[in-house]
Amino acid sequence: MSIEILLGNEAIALGLVEGGVRVATAYPGTPSSEILAAVRGWGERLGRDVYCEWSTNEKIAFEVALAASWAGLRSAVAMKQVGLNVASDPLFSSAYTGVRGGFVVIPADDPGPHSSQTEQDSRLLALSAKVPVFDPSTPAEARRMVETAFSISERFSTPVILRPTTRMCHALQSLSVPEPSTGLAAQIRSPRFQKDPSHWAATPRARHRLHVELNQKLKEIEAAFERDPLNRQDGPAGPAPLGVIASGVAHPAVQECLAQMGVQLPVLKLGTPYPLPRQLVKRFLDQVGLALVLEEPDACIELQIPDRSRVRGRLDGTVPAAGELAPEVVYAVVEEVLAAVGISPASSTSPATPLRVEALPLPARPPRLCPGCAHRSAFFALKREFGPQAIYTSDIGCYTLGMNLRAVDTFLDMGAGITLADGLYKANKVTGDHRPIVATIGDSTFLHSGVPSLINAVHTGARFVLVILDNHTTAMTGFQPTAASPIGVDGASHQVSLAGLARACGASFVETTSPYDHSAFRAVLRRAFDHTQADGGGVAVVVADWPCILDDPSPLREHPLPVEITQDCDGCRYCIEAFECPAIVLRSDGSRVDIDPVLCVDCGQCIDACYKGFIVPRFAEPAASIR
Amino acid sequence: MTGVLAPPETRIIVAGLGGQGVIFATRLIAQAAVRLGWPVVGSETHGMSQRGGSVLSHIKLAAAEAPLIRRGTADLLLAFERHEAVRALHYLRSGGVCVVNAEDGLGYDLKEALEQASITVHALPATPMAMAQGSAALVNVILIGFACALGALPIPEPALRATLAEGSAARREQNLRGFSAGADAAAKAPSAVERRDG
Repeated sequence: MSIEILLGNEAIALGLVEGGVRVATAYPGTPSSEILAAVRGWGERLGRDVYCEWSTNEKIAFEVALAASWAGLRSAVAMKQVGLNVASDPLFSSAYTGVRGGFVVIPADDPGPHSSQTEQDSRLLALSAKVPVFDPSTPAEARRMVETAFSISERFSTPVILRPTTRMCHALQSLSVPEPSTGLAAQIRSPRFQKDPSHWAATPRARHRLHVELNQKLKEIEAAFERDPLNRQDGPAGPAPLGVIASGVAHPAVQECLAQMGVQLPVLKLGTPYPLPRQLVKRFLDQVGLALVLEEPDACIELQIPDRSRVRGRLDGTVPAAGELAPEVVYAVVEEVLAAVGISPASSTSPATPLRVEALPLPARPPRLCPGCAHRSAFFALKREFGPQAIYTSDIGCYTLGMNLRAVDTFLDMGAGITLADGLYKANKVTGDHRPIVATIGDSTFLHSGVPSLINAVHTGARFVLVILDNHTTAMTGFQPTAASPIGVDGASHQVSLAGLARACGASFVETTSPYDHSAFRAVLRRAFDHTQADGGGVAVVVADWPCILDDPSPLREHPLPVEITQDCDGCRYCIEAFECPAIVLRSDGSRVDIDPVLCVDCGQCIDACYKGFIVPRFAEPAASIR
Repeated sequence: MTGVLAPPETRIIVAGLGGQGVIFATRLIAQAAVRLGWPVVGSETHGMSQRGGSVLSHIKLAAAEAPLIRRGTADLLLAFERHEAVRALHYLRSGGVCVVNAEDGLGYDLKEALEQASITVHALPATPMAMAQGSAALVNVILIGFACALGALPIPEPALRATLAEGSAARREQNLRGFSAGADAAAKAPSAVERRDG
């Protein structure tokens, strides 16, 4: 036994491996991305045989793990919350069919949002799908909760959801880690797929019976949750003017807040927000004059309380209806509710420093494409070739940051970069709009759900340029392999060809080229555009092929091209606006730009970004080392 | 020594830009604390916000469960860039300490506000020091060495060195040299240190 610092996601993974998970799948997405690699790491370290897979998308990840459960193995699938939308079809259906081996679905929610397109609450999707939910507050609790999740899943033959949030996933906590030989979870009995058409192939008539069964299961699970120590009351017992009901990260946040205020209140901690242990909650509500519900990111517990006349939370506006429950927010809400019931905090409650930094003219620092990123080169070429008037649809990934170069006009969800181009081509025919349409999509996103979009566009005769930005990895989420990568999470994998896929989708123009070679890349873009205009033309696919420089800096190391700005630079800002490299910095007096030697990676890609020719190769001195 | 940051109950904010090694610094502090048997909780920034944008970590050396530090309650702000230091300044409590990588102070005409809040700023030009040692990536360990030697980071130096010595072999020597350079700067070059004791 040793004490180590674990990330919340690593603690979840440890719980899974300790709980005997045999098959773990995932599609990367912040804040869930570290779970799968950690499952593999713990499996190796603790001597457990776990099959791990980065699947092509979340629906596929869900189904692969579900099949393992049907074969009697404990299995788990991890994804970000919007990934559960993609996997919602098997989620809803498998609630009816049930499972055999314990099956834990881990959708990580992102209150804030920090790295997502929505603040949706996976617990509400679970409520709709009728799948029980576990809501961990800390890494330590998440690790312990996994075992209960597996056992509830097996006992009631149901998928279960373990729902962490960003602050849980990326929390750090010192935890004790077992040695390889210490007793881990028992193996599951007779794992082997057994045919059972009444469940695994249930027809609509049988589905009615399964729905009745599911409702009965939920009643029994609710009864089990009434007694489960994951739900417990802390603080003073007996009648109180105010009590707090909290789940997830909001629970430790409100406990710390009350301690800082020197206020003692009854606090009901709920680790299982659905199905809600209603008797437990009713008994709690009977003790308190008013109950404040703190949960993230939306109202799931609050929604399930039938009589909310003495309940304060997100639904009545006491708690903000958007945004995460940062400690400052919790503090303000608690202060307000305490005042409403006439309780004065014992300790001084105002923040200690009077500093107000929000008013200062601090530089805005939105995320940007890295220096040397090939996406920047591709976007720069697109803008030079098709101009500002073209319509640029794009997608989810690092390259969404192409909006800083004004080369991204839309992003909606995974795969929509292609489908929106397809749809706009059709809409523009109606509106008489002849602007060029250029779609961009990353390699992983194309494989995730761009392929059916491309099939639809080709089949229905749409015409646009599609640039697949192939950086050989899933970069934004931490360099996970894709189906087009030579190596998967569990060693070798069969490599899928992006260009071959595009041809198989029916695209009649498919060319692969490096965006690092500007003139060749632009020549291909021109031919691609001509194809979209030609008789018998259609969607033209360009695979922009260059590795992510963070993941694979070897081409830059082998062929560095240091640059300098000549004395002639007049500070016109063209390179700043059009190329937008963090390593090109405008002097504070605006007189000229300089290369930041700390940020510059000597890619030389900016040489074309000065149309006046003031960015030039620097040959005089030896190349600086790449950081 | 400031004497205000008695271990183990300390709240630390680490601020910087994506690529500056905020997470590495966070793990270094947390692992060194664990080596001493101290409980640790904290929070890291991952994902999109890591791409060159502001990155903020929270570390509590305390028997706590909540990962985030409320504004106005942090003891120490460790910042690898001065604008990010200013952006995170409101996390500090009255009497807190800011250790920042900067040529001279924070800028922004904050003198009066800092005095009012009794916040001490220690500035060290860590970027040129790091470049002189061959890599801008050393700013984080230089600043941690500096904060440690100042007594602003209440973790004994041997625990930090031992944690660095266990790190990846490729960077071990360089990191330890950077740490020493930061520690030496605190001892040898008091002129590099700006103090605003309240």
